[in-house]
Amino acid sequence: MDARLEDPVAAQMAAQPGEAAHSRRQNLWWRLASIALFFGAWEIAGRVPINLAFPTFSATVAAFFEMVGDGTMLKAYGLTLQPLIVGIVLSAVIGVSTGVAMGLRKSVEWMVAPVFIVLQAAPVAAVIPMVTFVYGIGLTAKVISVCLLALPVIVLNSYKAVANVNPSLVAMCRSFLGSPWQQIVKIILPDASPVIFAGLRLGIGAGFVGIILAELLITPTGIGDLITYHRAVANYAHMYAAIASIIAFSALTLSGLQWVEENWVRPEKRGS
Amino acid sequence: MKMWMKGLRGPLTAGVVALASLGWSGVASAASQVHVAFGDIATVESLNFLIALERAKERGVDVKVTFFKSEDVASQAVVGGDADVGVGTPYALIQKVNAPIRLFYQMSALRFFPIVNTEFYQDWKDLDGQEVAVHARGSGTEAIMKLMAQKNGITFSNISYVPGAEVRAGALLQGNVKASIVDSTNKNLLEQKAPGKFKVLPVEGVNASDEALYANTEFLTENAEAVQILVEELLKTWREINADPKVVADLRKKYNLLPDLPAELEGEVVPYFEESVPTGMFPNNGGSEQAAKDDFAFYALAGQIEGDPATLKVEDFWTFEPLNKALAKVGTQ
Repeated sequence: MDARLEDPVAAQMAAQPGEAAHSRRQNLWWRLASIALFFGAWEIAGRVPINLAFPTFSATVAAFFEMVGDGTMLKAYGLTLQPLIVGIVLSAVIGVSTGVAMGLRKSVEWMVAPVFIVLQAAPVAAVIPMVTFVYGIGLTAKVISVCLLALPVIVLNSYKAVANVNPSLVAMCRSFLGSPWQQIVKIILPDASPVIFAGLRLGIGAGFVGIILAELLITPTGIGDLITYHRAVANYAHMYAAIASIIAFSALTLSGLQWVEENWVRPEKRGS
Repeated sequence: MKMWMKGLRGPLTAGVVALASLGWSGVASAASQVHVAFGDIATVESLNFLIALERAKERGVDVKVTFFKSEDVASQAVVGGDADVGVGTPYALIQKVNAPIRLFYQMSALRFFPIVNTEFYQDWKDLDGQEVAVHARGSGTEAIMKLMAQKNGITFSNISYVPGAEVRAGALLQGNVKASIVDSTNKNLLEQKAPGKFKVLPVEGVNASDEALYANTEFLTENAEAVQILVEELLKTWREINADPKVVADLRKKYNLLPDLPAELEGEVVPYFEESVPTGMFPNNGGSEQAAKDDFAFYALAGQIEGDPATLKVEDFWTFEPLNKALAKVGTQ
């Protein structure tokens, strides 16, 4: 007999991986059931129908594959992703550096924080039409819309993350005669990274809101065009397919980012 | 088992609540008044309609108007039962989802003005291989540009979509757009702000409705009397304006319509109607079977209607009962 199993603590520890796997499977089933329930309710609501313009889930899926098949969906994503990626990269770079600078220097905090706090509280959908007055109707206006939504979240999270770094870790670095640069790179940034990453994820989520708002309010391109056009010509299944696809795409992107963060950037977070 | 049931109770309740709340929007509102859904903000161009509504009110029809962001939203309000009468041309909605609505009055014919920056283009031929900006995919403005390209044997390199005639006019003035299509108000604005810089290209053979009235078939039968009064007042007002466009300014004052109109726009009221009336924009007889067939051909080209327009039946989209009754009373011109 295995000696470890005689020890109750060891036995419990040996049983844990099996239990964890069981719990994960159960979780997966519940999630799948929740998704099936939602799509089932959608199908029934479309068949009733609750509104003439409300398509069934099956019609929406068919419309989605039709648009994938004829290439319109791919073309639309190509157009939507341009300003989205540019906007998000700009927001991430500017946002994290500004936020970190705010956390490190009071003068920067006082100068910049009010702008982003106001921007975060502002109903940005009301501001986007104003963007067109200054930046016209092209790519720039759409990139600005993405930044308007993504930047405040990223800046404020990075700022809070740096401002709330464990002071004893900073004191430790100083007592080991660490230079200010080492203090930032080896202590502050690693300790702040969980909240900075959370801010990036929220910022990307907000960026999706920004690009769709821009495509609906400025000029209809990409996914915004699919939504507007199919609504105008009463192809409601196609309209819902475009909406559902961008929601799914956004959710998958955020999950993918979380996976990258857990597996590559901060492996210590895995399983927590 | 009990645990399983307990676990399922939450999601089930949520599903039922979600379905119930979705279903709630389908409940029709009581037709104690005629609720008109207008798919645009009220401007100088809608004064004729507002006057006719005031006159219908004088004859005891309780009219309430709601201004929506777009024609799509207005048509959804009518289909969903939140409004009774809509303004627009919901051919796609009727054909594709079999919405139980019918058009019953043609208010205006489509009149748009293709306009080019004379620095770059002078006529239709110059636009061959060039980019033009229109309102939206599937819109009337796009159909006009496509139709005229067809007639002139040219092709555009690209059609860009810039919603709002005022936005396209602004882009033309700034130079971001060199060729576009705008409504008469913005055409005049461009001619005023930059005399000689822009040129209107000729449009021929475009016959289609811009705005028409439509309602649920049930509403039309249940409120035949109110609808007839409304149609009669529309016919009378349209004829009065067609006979003398200046009358709009007096009627606006009489009924206190658009009281907050800025002084500079106030000066545009009479010129707008004086310019529009000779183009036949406001039909004297509220539409006809032929007008409906012209709409089929035009909106098929615009991508709103599917199939061969010649095979479409007028009665699947229009009802002429209210109009015919009103014409019998006020006479045909």
